[in-house]
Amino acid sequence: MKKTSLAKRNALISATNLSWGSAALLGVILLLVLRVSLPDIFWTLTAPAFRASDAVAAANHSFFTNFSDAKSLAEKNEILVRENASLAFENTILHKKISSLSALLGSSEKQVAQAPSIIAHVIARPPMSPYDSLVVAQGAHAGVTPGMEAFGAGGVPLGVVASVTSNTARIVLFSSSGVSTTGWVGKNNTAIVLNGAGAGVLTASLPRSADIVVGDTVFVPGPGLIPVGVVSRVDGDPSSPVVVLRILPTQNLFSVTDVLLRSTGSALFTSILTATTTRP
Amino acid sequence: MMRGIATIGALISVVLFPWPLSVALAVCAAVYEPLVPLAVGILFDVFYFTPQGTTLPFFTIAGAVGTGVALFVHSRLRTGTL
Repeated sequence: MKKTSLAKRNALISATNLSWGSAALLGVILLLVLRVSLPDIFWTLTAPAFRASDAVAAANHSFFTNFSDAKSLAEKNEILVRENASLAFENTILHKKISSLSALLGSSEKQVAQAPSIIAHVIARPPMSPYDSLVVAQGAHAGVTPGMEAFGAGGVPLGVVASVTSNTARIVLFSSSGVSTTGWVGKNNTAIVLNGAGAGVLTASLPRSADIVVGDTVFVPGPGLIPVGVVSRVDGDPSSPVVVLRILPTQNLFSVTDVLLRSTGSALFTSILTATTTRP
Repeated sequence: MMRGIATIGALISVVLFPWPLSVALAVCAAVYEPLVPLAVGILFDVFYFTPQGTTLPFFTIAGAVGTGVALFVHSRLRTGTL
């Protein structure tokens, strides 16, 4: 008797009826079920794909940056630019700290104990991740908990850990759409509410009389005042008493490779924590 | 063959490339396979959607709309006189 394949014998599993689109949709729905029911296994299985993607992106970057001798120069230049940016931000923090302490004459400076930090490698970031979120390769096994803050180079805060599995964690960035953070702007430390606008951009509304100009630094609370961005545009009708600030982050979110996760104890991201669900 | 390459390319791009490129590939693949935008949209949300940060899975919704449009166009082309 001639043997026939399962696809030929079974009318329900017919290769001719199952189009590529249907097969893709079926596969994706299976992944969705796996992601919802067994998130740890899902992330363990998909982490190598993200790492491969990271490696491909890095290889492409070095290929397109330059060739032969010029390539090493470009890499060195890139490292120096990054270091310079980190030092500049640290300098800004120290300047702010000095001015704050000088204003508090007579009061003693309290030493803030540093909470233990966890270094996490970023495996998915914008623009691959369209929701302004980062996926990092450290999870509950390494001690990561929801609510920890993520810091980039130079101690620039980037976002808050929103969900954790055993080996991965997802960080919602401050620039994520719908996320609000409190902060200050300008030389007079005018209080503002920073609203995420997506694609790494933040916005804030405040009275025209606050006299904020392009180039003013925006700070958020942390251990002292921490710069998170710079005012890039001030929008508003001349007849309106309110202006809208467009704020660009100090750290390029598209090239974040590692972050530092730390519990700061400050409720920077109340909107996220109150909205936390039981879903992974 | 072209259908397979377009479908797999669009799905793989979700992990490998920036999301605007993945969206462009999904739109191109919809010419051959109308279900691909929905599959790509769901895959985006499977990987990147964070319910604590965003209330709606925008990419699944956008994918469903894309698939709806593609199915409509396909049905019109099938029944058209050209």
